[in-house]
Amino acid sequence: MTTSPQTDPGPLRQSARSKRATRIADAASGGWKVVAAKILGLGVVDAIAIYALFVLVRSESWLVAGLVTAVTLLVNWIYFSRGKLPAKYLAPGLIFLAIFQIFVLLYSGYIAFTNYGTGHNSTKEDAVNALLLSSQNRVEDSPSYKLTVLEQLGEISFLVTEPDGSVSIGGNERPLEDVRNAQLEGGVAVGLNGYTPLGFQDIIAKQTEIAAISVPLTDDPNDGMLRTPDGSSAFLYTSSLEYDEAAGTMRDTNSGTVYSDIGTGAFTSDAGQELLPGWKIDVGFDNFIRAFSEESIRGPLISVTVWTFAFAFLSVFTTFALGLFLAIVFNDKRMKSRKYYRIIMILPYAFPGFLSALVWAGMMNQEFGFINTVLLGGAEVPWLTNEWLAKGSVLFVNLWLGFPYMFLVTTGALQAIPEELTEAATVDGAKPWAIFRFVKLPLLLVSVAPLLISSFAFNFNNFNLIYMLTNGGPRDVSAGVNVGATDILISMVYKVAFVGANRDYGLASAFAIIIFILVAGISIISFRRTKSLEELN
Amino acid sequence: MKVTKRGLWAVGALTVTASLVLTGCTAASDTTDSAAGNGGSLTVWVDADRASVLKDAAADFTAETGVEVKLVQKEFGDIRDQFVAQVPTGKGPDIVIGAHDWLGTFVTNGVVAPVELGDKADDFQAVGVTAMSYEGQVYGVPYSIENIALVRNTALAPSTPATFDEMVTMGQAAGTEYPFLVGLDPEAADPYHLYPFQTSFGAPVFGTDADGSYDAEALEIGNAGGDAFAAWLAAQGAAGVLNTNITGDLAKEKFVAGEAPFYLTGPWNVPAAVEAGIDVAIDPIPSAGGEDAQPFVGVQGFFVSAKSENALAANEFIVNYMGSEEVQTALFEVGGRAPALTASFEAASADPIVAGFGTVGENAVPMPSIPAMGAVWEFWGVTEAAIINGGDPTSLWQKMSGDIQTAIAG
Amino acid sequence: MTTATQHHNPDAVIDPDAAVRSGAVVGHPKRPFKRYFRETGWRHLVGIAMSIFAAFPLLYVFSASLNPGGTLVTANSLFSNFSFQSYADLFDRPQQPYAAWFGNTLLIGGISSLGTVFLGALAAYAFSRMRFIGRRVGLLTLLLVQMFPQLLAVVAIFLLLSGISEIFPAIGLNSQIGLIMVYLGGALGVNTYLMYGFFNTVPSSIDEAAKIDGAGHARIFFTIILRLVAPILAVVGLLSFVGTTSEFVIASIVLIDPDKQTLAVGLYQFVSQEFSRNWSIFAAGAVLAAIPVMTLFLFLQKYIVGGLTAGSVK
Repeated sequence: MTTSPQTDPGPLRQSARSKRATRIADAASGGWKVVAAKILGLGVVDAIAIYALFVLVRSESWLVAGLVTAVTLLVNWIYFSRGKLPAKYLAPGLIFLAIFQIFVLLYSGYIAFTNYGTGHNSTKEDAVNALLLSSQNRVEDSPSYKLTVLEQLGEISFLVTEPDGSVSIGGNERPLEDVRNAQLEGGVAVGLNGYTPLGFQDIIAKQTEIAAISVPLTDDPNDGMLRTPDGSSAFLYTSSLEYDEAAGTMRDTNSGTVYSDIGTGAFTSDAGQELLPGWKIDVGFDNFIRAFSEESIRGPLISVTVWTFAFAFLSVFTTFALGLFLAIVFNDKRMKSRKYYRIIMILPYAFPGFLSALVWAGMMNQEFGFINTVLLGGAEVPWLTNEWLAKGSVLFVNLWLGFPYMFLVTTGALQAIPEELTEAATVDGAKPWAIFRFVKLPLLLVSVAPLLISSFAFNFNNFNLIYMLTNGGPRDVSAGVNVGATDILISMVYKVAFVGANRDYGLASAFAIIIFILVAGISIISFRRTKSLEELN
Repeated sequence: MKVTKRGLWAVGALTVTASLVLTGCTAASDTTDSAAGNGGSLTVWVDADRASVLKDAAADFTAETGVEVKLVQKEFGDIRDQFVAQVPTGKGPDIVIGAHDWLGTFVTNGVVAPVELGDKADDFQAVGVTAMSYEGQVYGVPYSIENIALVRNTALAPSTPATFDEMVTMGQAAGTEYPFLVGLDPEAADPYHLYPFQTSFGAPVFGTDADGSYDAEALEIGNAGGDAFAAWLAAQGAAGVLNTNITGDLAKEKFVAGEAPFYLTGPWNVPAAVEAGIDVAIDPIPSAGGEDAQPFVGVQGFFVSAKSENALAANEFIVNYMGSEEVQTALFEVGGRAPALTASFEAASADPIVAGFGTVGENAVPMPSIPAMGAVWEFWGVTEAAIINGGDPTSLWQKMSGDIQTAIAG
Repeated sequence: MTTATQHHNPDAVIDPDAAVRSGAVVGHPKRPFKRYFRETGWRHLVGIAMSIFAAFPLLYVFSASLNPGGTLVTANSLFSNFSFQSYADLFDRPQQPYAAWFGNTLLIGGISSLGTVFLGALAAYAFSRMRFIGRRVGLLTLLLVQMFPQLLAVVAIFLLLSGISEIFPAIGLNSQIGLIMVYLGGALGVNTYLMYGFFNTVPSSIDEAAKIDGAGHARIFFTIILRLVAPILAVVGLLSFVGTTSEFVIASIVLIDPDKQTLAVGLYQFVSQEFSRNWSIFAAGAVLAAIPVMTLFLFLQKYIVGGLTAGSVK
């Protein structure tokens, strides 16, 4: 995938003459190396694709196989044909992007239209199995049977010894019969003529089959079935649920209630009672409707949205201002030891973020934190527990976390500004501030404006910081909703969709899409506004 | 040659994406046979602490039975969500270690299979088996039982206090910086650690139904006892005995430094104090409201995946092997957590600290594992913190009770 | 002050005389204090103030790492204890193989950042130098894709990698190559933009000149352009290295075996256990974990601020 394309002329002006010239140039400048590298690279890609196809065809995944073929052909076509220069340069990155980012995006989009979440996280088949499994109740006061698993002509039988010493044999749908001539060992039947007893290894090898066996106690299935959880003992169970495959309904054998599939992703009784687990179904736009009608969202929505915008904007502004200021301060070549200052400056960026948030939370403790006890000499400023101070603290910590990034980026971007411009302005008598304001800043913004916009988007969804530093708090307990003063949209969504141990992925995805549309819209508008800047070049 | 390049790569991107979506789908519906070969193999998710403890036990099991046990190390906090997400794909483990209060989530999602303890059920401490049950069905094999108790620095307080007030008096008499320590959170207090005091006012979270399971319909938290507890919280907060700025880490450090005679905590914080040379005694939690102070008990154990293809081997491993006295005792010796098997627990009780916590635990109640508990956690801690910090106890407590009720119903 | 000085000694630190020579009073070792302060002195004040701001919270971490058994929050009495026991313990835990994590982090971070720089530079070159339909939209799309809230990324990536595992177990779940590929999925995006902006500042007359000299586009790209944009390559490389080394959500899903995991995943384990947090060892681990990033920055700094463009663009 990383072959370097070589054989094409420049894309801008394409004439026969330049083509010929390029070809001559290629021949003269060792173009064969590039061709060889290209063939090698494509060879590796094709080999991988052929292997994948082999596996896919064997597992009969025809559609995926077809798509893999199409993509492989496309890649070969791009790199073997002349022209398509942009595609040649973009393809490697785009392939990774498509697989690992677009997939995530589409998957989230798809989830938003399902009821995926706690209680609805798999197929109907799995739900039926799980329901039947947990409805197996051991018959009260029934004995535990000693079990020897026997095999005869490939058929498995259970040889069981009751606590009173009586021995019987049975199999899948073959009720127990008494046995008199079993081989006993310490009062437990361990073998029977004509049958081969299975050792532990054999049982493990056939465990799926053995675990599925249920031996009726008598001809009447209501008396219960013998099953084994471990291959060495058997217990008598009755099932409190019965699945009617033809009708697709579950029946509670104790109460007689029938639960049927009414299209809500769970077996539901006429009285509206659901059996969980249910399964995953498509629910159309239900999650989006819920996202807009959810009571716990609507109340605090406005204040949270305002704060989210303020937080994202101020975070970008403060980090950029500080980062830029420092980049300029340390960009003076007359200054000694800049190197060491710079290294210390990126320290906050080099430490794991979750650690930093924990340290800051500790330092901001009202009574014992360093800031209050040492710096402020015993003051009790509620840094994280007062609504407005907490907002300020969050911004402050985010400044600490984020300025090194802006510092690095602007330092890099400043290098792109030719010295000549500054010098020319100085010669013309411009003051340093004017040079900065009218020469450097506009040029700098050309390259960093998109980063500022994307930094805005990042902070808009900066769940980790909020979650680790304040978890959205402080909360107004009298408000009755689980949303605090520093909660931003994404952390509020998290709280609404993931209450306690319940996970509502469908709702969360719907929110994610709504937030995405919001952020993307703002970004596109901002780009329009910076368009003029971009055309400066 | 001005071909629409964008068209090309857009198609490419779409194709690849589509192909991967499909791959994802097939993966979700396929189940791989992880038990290839005769011996079979079990994949067990454990956290780092338990991984070292289980390593030898797993090796012995393999030697005995030929079943390979593959221990996969996970962060304890991640196990619940990852297990729920991965079991349906068929890629999940056969066995996970977990806390009993995850059970509600597991059962609601259909990711665990019931476990038959058979006659062994009586060999475990009753609270362990109760905690591992959900709607009358047992789903896990308990391995350790933990609860909090009052840890006393015997050098600072020579005798066991009978009531909370007596404890505070003794603590003040000791002349240390704090009469009593408990780790709280400035924002969300700590309902888990404060629960014994709440129960001592006769205000459990949920009532229980006929077979002893918690009943989400019967919310008890807002009863008269609850109001009394709330008033008590306000009083202790005003008196400075309860302080939400003392976090768990701070409380531990202060106690280890000998700055308080009493510390309400679990066995996990005791080794640090012992290492610091403090002579500790484990006392029952003193009652604040007159009734028994019942802490929550946390039971950890093993669960079997509902989609395990090695169900027999998995049950053999967790019931017959991990449930044996020998192994439970060995696990205690390596990991130091009080065993759930009665015989092993008795052996472990030679250690006065284990015995002390065990005595308190006899009185403890399992933390509810029903999904409704999620709604309770959402409002509980912040309300406690607000009351301790000077909020009006009765109105806040009633507001909380009402909010929880609404959340459960909604 | 002469421009020649600057161009020949782009990095004043390397040449200790540079600062002196660039001073106005040639021949005198010192500038008058007032002038010194106006030109560079105040910069040191800013530097010192910012160093305290940046480093202070991390002194806590360092102090905690030297105090076995201590906690982070109460470290108000800094450096009350000096013991390197936690550092020794760090390498003595068979279940938590710190040394392996360290190596994995270097490997995964190194390969991912090289790959990101390479893929990003290819794309940025295309966007900067070629005109094709959908260029603007494509550029914008790259940025927008990364704005999608990643709430469900973990579930999707697990599904995806387990699908890949079916075909190629070696690059699917529990493989470091798989993780690197996931990181490379983010190679195009903000970083492409950053490079794109920088590529634009390299005059296209350079390309034209090279073309006339008979160089193909690949040769122009690899031998001329990449050198001119070295500062931004170094910045992007560093950003991506920091990004991958501190990422732990996806890494903890993809990498299952402890000896395949990265530092961020491993370190998170030390604190995620609520009841057995080991702050001191965790702090020691974090201090050591910051060293590769610092080293890399030290190494790359001369590229980042070397002023390469200033000399070559002329």
